[in-house]
Amino acid sequence: MRMITRCLVALALFLVLAVPAGAEETIKLAGMFNLTGGMSSIDAPALNGAKLAAKLINEQGGVLGKKLEVIGYDTKTDQKACATAAQKAVSDGAVAGLGYGDTTFVNAAAPAFINANLPFVTSGATHPELPKWHGEYFFMVPFGDDDQSFAIADYAANQLGVKNVVVWTDNSMDFTKALSKFFKQRIEELGVNMIYEDFFMMGDKNFSAQIARLKNANPEADAVFIASIPNEAGLTTKQIRESGLDLPIISADGFDTELLVTVPGKKLANDIYFSSHTYREDTRPEVLNFIEEYNKEYGRDPENAFAPLGFDAVGLLADAMERAGSTDGPKLRDALAATRGYEAVTGEISYTRPSRVPVKAVSIISVKNGEYKVEQIWMPEI
Amino acid sequence: MRLPRSFLFTLLLGVGLLLVWFMEARMSSYFLMVAGFVGINIILAVSLNITNGFTGLFSLGHPAFMAVGGYVTAILTFPAMRKAMFLPDLPAWLAGLELPFLPALLFGGAMAVIVALFVGVPVLRLKGHYLAVATIGFLIIVQVLLKNMEGWTRGPLGLSGLPAITNLWWIALFVLTCIVTAWRIKFSSFGRRLQAVRENEMAAKCIGMNLFLTRIQALCVGAFFAGVAGGLWAHLITVITPNSFSLVMAFTIVVMVVVGGSGSITGSVLGATVVTLLTEVFRPMEEQLGLYGMSEVLMSLVLLLILILRPRGLFGTDEPIFLLPDEYRGTWKAKGMKKK
Amino acid sequence: MSWEYLLMQLVNGLILGSMYALVAIGFTMIYGIIRLINFAHGEVVMIGAFSTLGLMAHGGLPFPLVVAAVLLVGAGTGILIERAAFRPMRDAPQVTGFIASLALSIMLQNLGVMILSGQPRNFNFPDYLRFSVSMGPLDVRVIDLCIIGLALGSMGALMFFVQRTKMGRAMRATAQNLEVARLMGINANRVIMIAFALGSALAALGGLMWGGKYGQIDPLLGFVPGLKSFVAAVIGGVGSIPGAIMGGYIIGFSEILFVGLLPPAYASYRDAFVFGLLIVILLILPDGLLGGKSEDRA
Repeated sequence: MRMITRCLVALALFLVLAVPAGAEETIKLAGMFNLTGGMSSIDAPALNGAKLAAKLINEQGGVLGKKLEVIGYDTKTDQKACATAAQKAVSDGAVAGLGYGDTTFVNAAAPAFINANLPFVTSGATHPELPKWHGEYFFMVPFGDDDQSFAIADYAANQLGVKNVVVWTDNSMDFTKALSKFFKQRIEELGVNMIYEDFFMMGDKNFSAQIARLKNANPEADAVFIASIPNEAGLTTKQIRESGLDLPIISADGFDTELLVTVPGKKLANDIYFSSHTYREDTRPEVLNFIEEYNKEYGRDPENAFAPLGFDAVGLLADAMERAGSTDGPKLRDALAATRGYEAVTGEISYTRPSRVPVKAVSIISVKNGEYKVEQIWMPEI
Repeated sequence: MRLPRSFLFTLLLGVGLLLVWFMEARMSSYFLMVAGFVGINIILAVSLNITNGFTGLFSLGHPAFMAVGGYVTAILTFPAMRKAMFLPDLPAWLAGLELPFLPALLFGGAMAVIVALFVGVPVLRLKGHYLAVATIGFLIIVQVLLKNMEGWTRGPLGLSGLPAITNLWWIALFVLTCIVTAWRIKFSSFGRRLQAVRENEMAAKCIGMNLFLTRIQALCVGAFFAGVAGGLWAHLITVITPNSFSLVMAFTIVVMVVVGGSGSITGSVLGATVVTLLTEVFRPMEEQLGLYGMSEVLMSLVLLLILILRPRGLFGTDEPIFLLPDEYRGTWKAKGMKKK
Repeated sequence: MSWEYLLMQLVNGLILGSMYALVAIGFTMIYGIIRLINFAHGEVVMIGAFSTLGLMAHGGLPFPLVVAAVLLVGAGTGILIERAAFRPMRDAPQVTGFIASLALSIMLQNLGVMILSGQPRNFNFPDYLRFSVSMGPLDVRVIDLCIIGLALGSMGALMFFVQRTKMGRAMRATAQNLEVARLMGINANRVIMIAFALGSALAALGGLMWGGKYGQIDPLLGFVPGLKSFVAAVIGGVGSIPGAIMGGYIIGFSEILFVGLLPPAYASYRDAFVFGLLIVILLILPDGLLGGKSEDRA
């Protein structure tokens, strides 16, 4: 008898799913993020930023007379969940999708939106070929990995006078591999010599072997470029400095995190340079306003650069909706593509390039004795 | 009132097909995707049951077979032009090959079987927890290889933009094949051999059974269906990356089998359904409350409760009585044997 | 490849191995007595790391007291886990207990993410522990020496306890045969509780070391050390404490040396190598290095 009860329960659950949830009169944006699992430290602040943007916009009267609602879908750092959740979001009536800080998950979730003729705006994935892979309905809020790698390579060669560099690549993430690829490409063009390339993986804690090889590099290394995500930023820096090496450490937006200073401590967080979104230590009113509002809402500073990026994704969509005068998929898409000079927290966004990667400024940020400073703003060639 | 079994089976089949047709015609794409995953998980759970449940092997390597099958199928269905661009290291004959879905799936399954043989021969001599650890090792080795052999698999980025060929009909086809195979195995002499290995190895050896061969066969059958499931999975999500085939997935499948009852096919079907659906049921609650991670916590709690209150799972090692073959009725349960 | 380089790698392997060994001991003790694999052991490591952070940040206690407190927290967690998840499971088939511990592990991980947020946090010891000491050609930090010292000390104390005390004897008896031990008048429940307490205390200590060595912790940190210690315990022969210690050091050394001695291009294959080694060891010695008794007889 109990078996039959259980079968009935299963059937009931099936039916529950078939009934769609009741909807109110809001404009729904699907915030696709990994809020649990290994990528949660990167994605969770982005959802916070996105929800904050919606709240501020609603306080100003909303969009097209309606309230904006960002629904967060947790995809648990699992691609299968990405695909399922994306389908659910589309079925739930989202007018557009946004989110993620990494290409792998974008690839799993975006197709559901694109196939339904709904735009997808990634807040944090930076691979420059993403719009090409996914087609016309795909937009990026951040700059591409090529831009940020070129920026730091230029700075290293021209400002720091680096002639010989060692490259450390996180071989387990395509983001970091893309960074390395573009960095290596640029330094070759600039005539800088890459002595050799070393590898590690996301989740690694011990870099003593790589450090030992670095010490023995021949010719001696002027700098080391580390393509890593925030989790390894502090660890690598700490261990390199603790081993007595004080050569400049350079990287890209993976190093844009508090951990870079808190883990090694202020004394050891020295002589570090990385390229990132124009946000940290920036004095533009949008930035200061964002930080203040974030503190008011969540009681702490934004954890990393993905928070303002999430904020910007929603802002960008809202702005496009106002310009299009509608939330209809194709019209929204056209309005997005026509964006010129949108004043985002992380810099001005314009989709002037055919690749639909925004032409955004890149900040070169230095860390000296634990203090961040913007050294230079780099603009991509248009 | 005992209906003939063939009638019951045909009835079930008919209801199943009707359900599939209904869902394909009427339901949202979200619903279809969830239903698709239910089907794929059923295949995984039942095939794992053949290896773990019937034979008593503690194998955690199932996702590795899925990965092999998934990648092979994906590579074979990939348009030839894109193959050359994305996967430069493929040998020329492979790069030019582009197969339709069914042969690609079968090929994927076949490759999984070959890998199973390769791995099984050294590893199946181990027992219990040692086998579990060895299969974990195998799983990780496959993951690392997939991540690093970029010329063949495109590394961590994986293959994306796969044709979305999987639909409920394909899945239903293989669910049917898998269940029928498992059913026939269970009530055949091969099945009895598997269960003998599980129940009492010493006795099995005494009657002259070749333990090693039996184990390998169990592993290979399970691996074939896992490979096919991997191919279906890849073409449902349209993306395949090495990170998906992790230890967590292995545990999820084991959970489905244990919840349903290790050794019971009906149990695996139900276990897979319940576990897949429960995850989706908890989702809206998470979204409304903003308590992300809650669904995992609740699922674990539910699982713990089931395990405490009913450790043998929903069905134990049995099938519903009305579906059992005649000669098993009455003698199947150890206690209360009725004279036939 | 210089002499100093090799020495440095060996020291690193020693440190990592000590941490794995500590956690592996807990695994193997629990398995030895109740034949259940506790997958939530890794989470005890995580709890130990976060407790240390909390105690240092808010308690302001001197370091030795922090160590003692963490051991207590670990023991308490272990007892809680035993009562809540394992005692009801005792008569169930083995696989059930395995799954239950896994469910517990997932629950704790996600509770951690929900309550503490997934952000990694920095973890810094008082300054007097961060100095470097010159030992011959090497520079070793005080914290590293502490780790090795604490690990060896705890292991020694545990071995003493198991071999020389009455309760230790009771534990060994229960590990050999639970039923007969009960018949001999041993309070099996008490023994199991103590095994959990001791094993978890050591795991929590491992968490403290982990945080101290790397300076960064997050709620998901327990998964990988938990898995590796499980593997270490199996390599050494599940149920054997010296085996677990050996297994821990083998895994620790292999990890470091594979990355250190092979050319950089192979560094990403490190996990494959370590697990390949594991399979090879198991093939040669199917019961692990020191596991002589196959309880799973037909």
